[in-house]
Amino acid sequence: MLALLAIVPLAIAALLSPILKSRYDAVRYLSLAASIVSLILIAVLGTAPAGTQSITWFSIGGYAFHITTQTYALNMLLLYIIAIITPLIIAYSIGFMGVPSEQARYYFELDIFAAAMMLFAMSGNFIAMLIGWEMLGITSYLLIGFWHRRDAPPNAARKAITIVFIGDMMMLAAMVIIWVSYGTFNFSLLLRAQSSAALYIAMLLVMFAAFTKSAQFPFHEWLPDAMEGPTPVSAFLHSSTMVKAGVFIIAALLPLYMELHMGTLLVIFGIVTAIIGVLNALAESDIKRILAYSTIEDMGLMFVALGFGSLIAAMLLFVVQAFYKALLFMNAGTIMRANDESRSIHALYGSSSYKPLFIVMLIGVLSIAGIFPISGFFGKLGVEISATSIYAYAVLLAIDMLSSIYIFKWLLLPMRHQSSVYDQNATAWNYKLTPKSMMVPQYLLAGIVIAAGIAYIYIPSMLGSYSSAQMHFSVVGASAETVAVVLGAFIALYIFKLHPYASKLKEKHRYVFLSAYNSVASNAVYYYIGKAFLILSKAFEAFDYALLGFASAGGRSFVMFGNLVRKVENGQTNIYAIAFVLGIMLLLIMVLFK
Amino acid sequence: MNVIAIMIILPLIALLAEIALSKRYSLTIVSISTFIMLAIVSYLLVVGFIHGSILVAQSYAYIIAPSISISLYLNIASLMLLLMASVVLFVASISGNIGAERAKLSSALMLLFQLAATGIFTSGTLIQFFIFWDIGVITAFVMINTLGTASSKKASMTFLIYEIFASAMLLFAILLIYFGTPLHTFNIQAIISGSNSMPVSAQGLIFFFMALAFMVNMPLFPFHSWLPGAYAEASTQGSMALAGILSKFGAFGLLLTFEMLPIASHYSIYVAGLAIVSSIYASIVMLSQTDIKRIIAYAAMVEMGIIALGISAFNVFGTYGALYGMLAQGLTIAFMFLIAGAIVFEFGERDMRLLKGVIANAKASAYSLVVGVLALSGLPLTSGFIADLLIFIGAYKSFSIYGLVPLFAIILMVAYMYYLLNKSVLSSRDRNWNVAYLGVSQKIGYGIFIAFIFVFGILPFVLLNMVH
Repeated sequence: MLALLAIVPLAIAALLSPILKSRYDAVRYLSLAASIVSLILIAVLGTAPAGTQSITWFSIGGYAFHITTQTYALNMLLLYIIAIITPLIIAYSIGFMGVPSEQARYYFELDIFAAAMMLFAMSGNFIAMLIGWEMLGITSYLLIGFWHRRDAPPNAARKAITIVFIGDMMMLAAMVIIWVSYGTFNFSLLLRAQSSAALYIAMLLVMFAAFTKSAQFPFHEWLPDAMEGPTPVSAFLHSSTMVKAGVFIIAALLPLYMELHMGTLLVIFGIVTAIIGVLNALAESDIKRILAYSTIEDMGLMFVALGFGSLIAAMLLFVVQAFYKALLFMNAGTIMRANDESRSIHALYGSSSYKPLFIVMLIGVLSIAGIFPISGFFGKLGVEISATSIYAYAVLLAIDMLSSIYIFKWLLLPMRHQSSVYDQNATAWNYKLTPKSMMVPQYLLAGIVIAAGIAYIYIPSMLGSYSSAQMHFSVVGASAETVAVVLGAFIALYIFKLHPYASKLKEKHRYVFLSAYNSVASNAVYYYIGKAFLILSKAFEAFDYALLGFASAGGRSFVMFGNLVRKVENGQTNIYAIAFVLGIMLLLIMVLFK
Repeated sequence: MNVIAIMIILPLIALLAEIALSKRYSLTIVSISTFIMLAIVSYLLVVGFIHGSILVAQSYAYIIAPSISISLYLNIASLMLLLMASVVLFVASISGNIGAERAKLSSALMLLFQLAATGIFTSGTLIQFFIFWDIGVITAFVMINTLGTASSKKASMTFLIYEIFASAMLLFAILLIYFGTPLHTFNIQAIISGSNSMPVSAQGLIFFFMALAFMVNMPLFPFHSWLPGAYAEASTQGSMALAGILSKFGAFGLLLTFEMLPIASHYSIYVAGLAIVSSIYASIVMLSQTDIKRIIAYAAMVEMGIIALGISAFNVFGTYGALYGMLAQGLTIAFMFLIAGAIVFEFGERDMRLLKGVIANAKASAYSLVVGVLALSGLPLTSGFIADLLIFIGAYKSFSIYGLVPLFAIILMVAYMYYLLNKSVLSSRDRNWNVAYLGVSQKIGYGIFIAFIFVFGILPFVLLNMVH
């Protein structure tokens, strides 16, 4: 089990955290060291020949259940991403998490979170996958609700775990169906399996389970709420862990989806989600929630690419999205820190006063918008050209243009300065106080975001064994994409830079805003589903009492019968005598008239 | 001498010591007695693991004329249940009596329960099964009635009436097997091996009465009316023993019924239907409960429904999944009841709407409750996952897609459990509580439960590799 070694350092660090509780410095540097060791181990693992390894977990009545790991290109791709991002996130956390008393719990949860994702990434069968999968759900619950003394985080965490748990159970159901139908949990064996009706159901369940994890319509609403977690957690959750799990499992099983002709389903759900995500992001004004809706959109785009059968395009966006999204969240955390943790984008100022931050922000924004030659360009363009129909292409292009608007809005609004010079200076000073440990990961990530463009060259050859289709970027496509993005940028510039009343737009165009911000409607649907269950439950509870009452009534009927009989035995001799005589007469009559 | 015989005699000796010695020693005696049981069961587990299988059978002549012998029988199924029972009993003994109230009586009852549990899970004859069943029921009755909360009198009577009805049905079925079939034996193994000679009509009748008795005990819908009251109003030890162990008497009995009666496979679909309805029903009723102990009680019922589904699937996955489920559910639910008891002790409040911010003042209980919920949700690496996986594989094999319906009950149950966590554990305080501090023994109890929940979740092969 060579591959499993890679998660051992993080697991050890996690288990040591509660023990080293009082020495919080030790806890955080231990986590950082563990994540770096994991990175090295994964790099070593990458040099080893790819293959599967499996151990028997338990066997029952001759049937063995294995834990299988595999280190094929796709697995290694995800492993590299996690391994690179984990130390950066932990380094950022060192600066970000100010309160010493909660450090042990934080790093315990974070380390398990990273380890779970690594286990998921290297899983070669459903059991190993599900262990990572459910551990991710649980640790994300703990991390989102990390600040449990505030009001919002516990509810956000509960929302996340409730939706994700539905997915867990779907996945369990899919596993059961696959085991009974094919007698294996192994991915590579399953990929060679004959398709059947049972497989269709199982794959449908896996798809919806993936949708819960990757926040796809109709399970997308937990993700924006998950912003209640600490910012490094958001950066982690949205880039390389958790939401990526859903996309990855579909990518790993993509041949089955293609064989069962389920690509269209993926495309439909992906496009609907991307549209929902982009519209909400346009209407949203919370700096972190904009990024959350943007993640929903990105995940939707990946599903679209997968649905069109283009593994390479999906994986290209998968890789570049991890880095730019981690970077943007770190930027957001830095800006919030300098502005007293406000989150409304209209109350954040002065990001342009701190040049290092502004430069890395700009790199991130150009990447997510898709400006050549920064990595995001290849990801976005890859998804666009994966479209097999011109309508889908047009929709994707429009989505890219709209996403360019909101991301430039995200960049431009915090650039403004407060009106008073005193406030301006105070904010600028706050920016300068940003700890080094928060800035260094951002510089590194910015470098990676620029360099990740080489993924365009490497991924097609790396994933050559999965998909023979190559990706060809045409000049026309690239120009169309660039024009759309630049157009979006100019619109954003016009509205938010030149328009003096950006924060008033919401009131001025209320109906436009409401139709874009459909998150309210989704939440209402969730609410009414919950409500319906509660009403049903009230009815059932009434029935439950009635059932007990019914049993009591049964008991009481015996008592009543006893009371009735008791009346006869009242000790009055004359009544006994009458009964006796009547009985004798009855008997006589019966004998005589027989 | 046979280790099983030692296990059965052990609580009797301890009981005598309990009566003879003063109150000061009562906790020590019960702890030692249950610990020895745990040690013996662990020894059996190790022996079984090394040999790759386990089977202990021992018979002693008792009454010659109707040929009743005392027969002790232990296989992997009994071992799993004994393991669960010994852990639950040990923890219930050392940490269940949180307020240290009526130590002598509660310890004596625990010892009686130990006797019942050891006896029933190792019984080789139906007569033994019946006797230990009734010992368990009466002990549980006293645990609810005398040691329970103020409103426990009514709940205990309801419990007793249902359970005595069940044991009457059980006795009737046992007598039917002896007199109504050509077997003329009480020996369970003899019945299993000679089951084909039983006339079909008699089998149907026996199955009906046995299933009825066991469904009342487990309980399954619609025989569960005693459950919320009894589980909620019993003392902490009582709840742990009831939900953890007594409900397994019925499940174990149902398993034996399926093994003894070939006709059971014809009726299994009805049991499965009832099990599915039961789990869904319990999960929905649970959504309008606010009392923590009642919530856990309904959660126990959801899980019992799933276990019954596994039993009725009647294949290797279903059966051993159900057994693993009994192990997992027994540990988890007893754990949850211990936490609930501790929270009641700490805060004097059971209503989750009033109970706020447990984590601020009672960290151990709060974290344990989170772990308990995780275990209940069948998180991989906790014992519940192995159980769920095997049960649903078995259920899908036998009942196709309908076998997966209880997953929906799990979703509802777990969603509500997280709601409970939010309401009671995580939310901020709005009043100042006079929090009583938990003793070390409760925290040790938490630790033992958590350890076993994870051990059986991570190392399932220790037990399951013995299944052939």
